[in-house]
Amino acid sequence: MPPQATSDPPFNLNVNEPSNWSLVRRLIALSWQYRRQMILILTIQTAILAMTVSGLGLTGLGIDVIRVAVDANAPTPKWPLGLAPPASWPSLAVMFAIAIAIIAITLTNAALQNRYTVTMGRLVQQHVVVSLRKRVYDKLQRLSFRFFDANESGSIINRVTSDVQNVARFLNMVLFSSINLVIALTFFLVLMLSIHVKLTLACMATIPILWVCTVVFSKLVRRDHNANRVAGDDLVLKLSENLQGVHVVKGFARQDVEMSKYRKANKHVSSMQNRIFWRVSILSPLTILLTQVNMIVLLAYGGYLVMQRELDLGTGLVVFAGLLGHFSTEIQRIAGLGNRVQDSLSSAARVFEVLDTPLEIDSPPEPVTTDRFQGAVKFDAVTFGYRVGNAVLHDIDLEVQPGQCVAILGSTAGGKSTLLSLIPRFYDPTFGRVLIDGIDVKRMDVETLRRQIGIVFQESFLFSNTIASNIAFGHPEATQEQIETAARIAAAHDFIMDLADGYETVIGERGQNLSGGQRQRLAIARAILMEPTILLLDDPTAAIDPETEHEILQSMDNAMQHRTTFVVAHRLSTLRRADHVVVLENGRIVQRGNHRDLMQASGHYRDTAQLQVADTESKRLLGVAWSARPRALMADSPS
Amino acid sequence: MSTTPTNPTLTYLQRDKDREPHMKPLSIQLIVRLFGYTRPYARIRNWLLAIILLRAASNPLLQFTLAWILSVPIAQGSTSGLVLGLTVFTLLTIATAIILHFRERLALLLGEKVVHDLRNLMFAHLQRQTMSYFDQTRIGRIISRFNSDLDNVRVGVQNVFFTSLMALGQMTIAAAIMLWSDAELFAVIALLVPILWLINRYFRIHLSRAHRSAQESFSRVTATLAESVNGVRVTQGFSRQDVNASMFGDLVTDHSKHAVRAVRLNAMFLPLLEINSQVFIATLFVLGGWRVFGGHTDAKTIIIFLFMSNAFFTPIRTMGMLYTESLMAMAGAERVFNLLDREPQWKDSPQAVALPLIKGRVECRDLCFGYDPQQLVLHEINFTVEPGQTIALVGATGSGKTSITNLIAKFYLPTSGNLLIDGHDILDICSQSLHRQMGIVLQQNFLFSGTVLENIRVGRTHATDQEVVEAASKLDCLDMINTLPDGFETQVGERGGNLSLGQRQLVCFTRALLANPRILILDEATSSVDTMTEFRIQRALEVLLEDRTSFVVAHRLSTIRHADLVLVLDQGRIIERGTHNELLADGGVYANLYRQFIQSSEG
Repeated sequence: MPPQATSDPPFNLNVNEPSNWSLVRRLIALSWQYRRQMILILTIQTAILAMTVSGLGLTGLGIDVIRVAVDANAPTPKWPLGLAPPASWPSLAVMFAIAIAIIAITLTNAALQNRYTVTMGRLVQQHVVVSLRKRVYDKLQRLSFRFFDANESGSIINRVTSDVQNVARFLNMVLFSSINLVIALTFFLVLMLSIHVKLTLACMATIPILWVCTVVFSKLVRRDHNANRVAGDDLVLKLSENLQGVHVVKGFARQDVEMSKYRKANKHVSSMQNRIFWRVSILSPLTILLTQVNMIVLLAYGGYLVMQRELDLGTGLVVFAGLLGHFSTEIQRIAGLGNRVQDSLSSAARVFEVLDTPLEIDSPPEPVTTDRFQGAVKFDAVTFGYRVGNAVLHDIDLEVQPGQCVAILGSTAGGKSTLLSLIPRFYDPTFGRVLIDGIDVKRMDVETLRRQIGIVFQESFLFSNTIASNIAFGHPEATQEQIETAARIAAAHDFIMDLADGYETVIGERGQNLSGGQRQRLAIARAILMEPTILLLDDPTAAIDPETEHEILQSMDNAMQHRTTFVVAHRLSTLRRADHVVVLENGRIVQRGNHRDLMQASGHYRDTAQLQVADTESKRLLGVAWSARPRALMADSPS
Repeated sequence: MSTTPTNPTLTYLQRDKDREPHMKPLSIQLIVRLFGYTRPYARIRNWLLAIILLRAASNPLLQFTLAWILSVPIAQGSTSGLVLGLTVFTLLTIATAIILHFRERLALLLGEKVVHDLRNLMFAHLQRQTMSYFDQTRIGRIISRFNSDLDNVRVGVQNVFFTSLMALGQMTIAAAIMLWSDAELFAVIALLVPILWLINRYFRIHLSRAHRSAQESFSRVTATLAESVNGVRVTQGFSRQDVNASMFGDLVTDHSKHAVRAVRLNAMFLPLLEINSQVFIATLFVLGGWRVFGGHTDAKTIIIFLFMSNAFFTPIRTMGMLYTESLMAMAGAERVFNLLDREPQWKDSPQAVALPLIKGRVECRDLCFGYDPQQLVLHEINFTVEPGQTIALVGATGSGKTSITNLIAKFYLPTSGNLLIDGHDILDICSQSLHRQMGIVLQQNFLFSGTVLENIRVGRTHATDQEVVEAASKLDCLDMINTLPDGFETQVGERGGNLSLGQRQLVCFTRALLANPRILILDEATSSVDTMTEFRIQRALEVLLEDRTSFVVAHRLSTIRHADLVLVLDQGRIIERGTHNELLADGGVYANLYRQFIQSSEG
């Protein structure tokens, strides 16, 4: 069909690369519709923070209570919020009370965490991801062919899968996490300050270093990982090509070369890995070292403070140590957050690009209502290019009467398929008009238009599904009878019935393999089921052996009955059947007429025909044979 | 799957019936064999073992020192004690960091080395497999041996063994310290261990199941998506957008159910672990408090227990995770070893000799063959081909044309009968020496990703640039190559996607010509190309077939007409033979086929 995407296709990424800020604004706007759930989740999260700190406080309190019970000199425990138990209580009772409180808090905390995870998971998985995926998929289905010409299918698929997931993560792991991070850091910091201001400041000294280290390292490692992934993909490619091309490898005795190629790539991957190992194995000890330096500062200074009775052991030092630990953990998260922002933004750009691409081909607001087409098709001075200034079709004028068959012949990339694809409005002409029954196709409802046009594509794409559902593709409610009728017309019924599961046979990757001719006949049946007035056949015999070609010729003949047909063809067998032949060269019509006329004129048509015509010597020999044993031959015939 | 969507679907949904188990029970045999692959790296491995033992000790010791500093010098106000404690703590910290560095790096290194070696071994082993292996094995399967299975093996080597060892060591040391501090208190605390272990197991198993079913439902999403994108032109041509969108919506919703189930399990699991460690603290306070107040133990012990708890309980969590990983490593290792243990169906016989330079005489005597010996696809094939002749093989799909070429290429061995090349039985010659004198061009015109030049050189690796250019110009496709964006240096793309069909064919012809083989096997592509290209291909073919014995699975009239011998096959038997003209004159099946063809194209 259309030419390969080149360096500047109209729908490539990065054309109008949106600024990061505008992306963030859009992502926040997207998240805004979930604000109620978000507020609920934030409340839960804050409660969890409070519970965590309370648990920590109670542990400290427990230590202090035990300490004072053993060592009369120890300072009396500081009870929070004036909740001190009566002095008459024995210490064991107090410990028991603390233990119960710890368990109560733990249970509450566990319940809260459960709620948090479930609520967040449902928000992300059930709401955000599902609705985004549906939206992107729906939009994709409607985008014009140009979009699919310009983007590789792998990249398009990723937009619905991982890109959507990354966008959803923005809400979860970026937006929410940062709010949460700010709250948590403030919370811990305030509590630490409330315990001891100077101690807090002393312990904060290494925090910036910790932060810088994690950020720098995570950037380095990330870059290495990316490079490594490229090398890894290359290794897999080498393997899979070796397997796919096993005939070539063995046939040219290439095993040794292949092996050394693979060894080299393998070694390369290993050495890349090595670098990552070095970096990773420096980062984690370093982080631990820095955290421990904090601990040493805390122990030295805090220990001194405890000795000076400026600080309690449990509620002071132990609690402080706990808080500091939480604080450092949160700081280390910042690096991950940065990476995630990057991922989310580049994914968001790709997802929004799909959602924002205008529907190039759409029905007009008030389409002309048409009855069933008569089938007269007219190209009126049509010029078309996939890119501006690079026309593939020039000034095409062509008029076809209802029920006629037009064959189009021409060199590769001569514009044959393109000509066909203008009729169902897969593309719109740059200049000129395409008219059906005298009405410009642009003025019709697209769906109504396409439902009256049957198309058989060059590489008959069939879905991996049952034969019945493939034939009924355009009309899923079709009855079995309708399906079989279509299959009969397409001369497919017999071979289908020969399959073990008949119409319920699953075809495709995991199912039955069909020959090119069989696939093409199913594609014709699929088109016939729509009972189209206009039939487009894009080189249906292209991928079929000449020996089996006659299988589908019958099918084509049946299909063309009473329909206006456009057929792209190289084979003489097809060209001869047309009422009218058009020869396209470099996007212009250079010859037109019927088979007999064109055989008279010198030109592309006659060249093509002569390549395929049996030589006179062969014909003479056959003629001899024919006259010698006329009837017997027909009886011998394998068909 | 309990919740498979009920709507009709775009693609046929089925549970992957031949799905492979992702876990296998531990097996000593497998572990020993896997461990054998670390032998070349014994130094790394032994260092790692030593480091692991140090690492097992360092964490509990750090915690102990910390507890001691808090409970002895700080609580009792001893400055010198504090200084001493801090010094020890600092030294331990530095030592820990260094130990950790080596522990991580050596483990990662060892895993990578083993995986690297295994990859090479597997690749080399695959090169020895016969063609039947590749017919029977899906490429995806083989690739997943190299990807997910080896990844699991890597984790097994890097992580499971050494980390379990470390976790066990750490637990033991922490337990020893606690036992020494207060044996009775520890005895009570230790009761929590089995509970923790059971919780771990239960959730790990269910989580991994939930993840599997989420993955499965997601693979349905992606399969449908891929077909939707690849078939979008059909969809739009048949106005199916709405139907597809609702089917896809169902699949996405179904997937989200599975994903949320995994989230729910996680939401139970992590808080339960948290509860466990808090229950430990509560128990410690009550029991410990009771013992302290009763004078059985001192406050120091409580603090030590408090700090040791982490060193003691975390390994249980770690080992729960490792256990799952080890089962996955077992499954991976088993499949990797199966691949390595699978002997090629046949090998060149030990007496096989290298084929001397041949002239290209090929003789078949009562040749029978079946991919499955019970089901012959070729019956008693007899023919003799003199050096330099062109043989066209003609017949319907499945008539045995390709099987004959497969036997001549020694991709398969005959079931019975003899195949002689210059009088040498094909069983007695070494495959590589045959292949070096043979060229092959297949229908798919397979190109490796890389440049045009590299692809032509596949024919003869050490050919000079000059020789490549000569081959191309002999086939008259030098100008075609030069019109490519970067000439010979043009990247052909994956499977040659950047080149047109005709260009791909010509590159494959050049490749075969460069090999200058005595015997050429050519499976003509069926797809039609435009007239100009067709002219070119026909001319190039004539050059290519000249002066060498050629077997052509022929679709082109011109090729058949020029063949010295046409073999007409039907259901594995040669039913007619002769030149094109002779066959036409005989008026048999071939003449009839030919007439049909003429009738369809000329009427």
